[in-house]
Amino acid sequence: MSLDFTPLFDSWRFLLGGLGLTLGLSALTIVFSIVLGGALGLARCYGPAWLRWPLVFYIDSMRSIPVLVVLIWTYFALPVVTGVTLPPFWAATLALTAHISAYVAEIIRAGINSVRAGQERAAFALGMSRYRAIRDIILPQALVRMLPALGSILSITIKDTAIAAVIAVPEYMNRSQTVAGQSFHPIEVFIVAMIVYFAILFPVTRAVDMIYARYAYLGRS
Amino acid sequence: MSYDWSVVWRHADLLWEGTKVTIFLAVTTMIIAVPGGIVLALMRLSGIRILAAASATFVEFFRNLPLILVIYTAYYILPVATGLRFSPIATAIVALSLNVSAYNGETFRAGIASIRKGQSEAGYALGMSRTRVMFEIVLPQAVRRVLPVLASTWVSLFKDTSLVSVISVGDLAFESMRVRSQTFRVLEMLTAMAVIYWLLGYPQAKLVDWINKRYRVNE
Repeated sequence: MSLDFTPLFDSWRFLLGGLGLTLGLSALTIVFSIVLGGALGLARCYGPAWLRWPLVFYIDSMRSIPVLVVLIWTYFALPVVTGVTLPPFWAATLALTAHISAYVAEIIRAGINSVRAGQERAAFALGMSRYRAIRDIILPQALVRMLPALGSILSITIKDTAIAAVIAVPEYMNRSQTVAGQSFHPIEVFIVAMIVYFAILFPVTRAVDMIYARYAYLGRS
Repeated sequence: MSYDWSVVWRHADLLWEGTKVTIFLAVTTMIIAVPGGIVLALMRLSGIRILAAASATFVEFFRNLPLILVIYTAYYILPVATGLRFSPIATAIVALSLNVSAYNGETFRAGIASIRKGQSEAGYALGMSRTRVMFEIVLPQAVRRVLPVLASTWVSLFKDTSLVSVISVGDLAFESMRVRSQTFRVLEMLTAMAVIYWLLGYPQAKLVDWINKRYRVNE
């Protein structure tokens, strides 16, 4: 079996554009998911009681449905309900954010719950208000403990953006399929795609591990 | 816009076939990937440098690739590399097993590493061999710590099987989308697909939460 990588050189601009979209989609999804997931997680822990069960229902439902299903539903079925057709990129951003923010909310909750109750009581004993106890005592410790899980959200998101290829977002995976189909060299194209994704994801995973190892001591109490 | 939900009942048999394929894929993959993960972990901890490096490379490689890409690549490479004809479902099982074995390998490695050294040293002091210490002292304890993580991996796997629909494996996602394109009842079929995944996945996610609570290691 002989490999011929020339089709990739011929369409490198096309692929590079796809890579840019992969990174852009990942960045937007991560920022939106952390904001929305953070709000959901905090609301679940400290929000009013009536809000709690709809939040738990939303979070657990998103954890039980495949991201592919969320993407396809958002792109194809949502316009039937709303009458508004989103372009693939924004449908993907919406679907991935809806999905990933549920995971972020879970991480926030687990982090907050991992701070022992004695910490909060000690803060109250010192006369701190509930707001100050949460802001100055609980969240700083919880945040450090959330770091590895939040870090893994980065690589999970980048990997999940590849699934957006199925709703025709012209990101790297989708463009690889195009090049593979046009050049009749799918093996070479997908081998390069593996190298590209690995080259992005491996440093991210490693960096997260290193940063956590550096700051883990701050989360001890 | 009028909805016609009867389309879902009229194609219930296809959805049921798809659901069976989804469950079959998840079960078969886990049956392969648990021993696969144990082998990878034992290689990693064997102390033989080349085995450890091979295992680490495998695990890091597949943990850092989108599964959908592994599925596509397997679809194109497997027949060429092996000279055999792979059915879509066989290709799907290979791709899913590679992915989940890598995750399980890391899970088992961490589980084994979490058993304190004193445990195996006590085994050696009693004159046990390395193999016996591993299988009778370390692994039984590691399994308890590993179980909650394996349960989470199972739930992820169950959802990830939907990705094999891209290589035309007739799972729940594929069958739903096929009925959608034949009947043009987009909202009805896609909602039915989401609801079926939810009905299957929600109890599993809750069960995993329970297992995590039950087996929590208190330090």
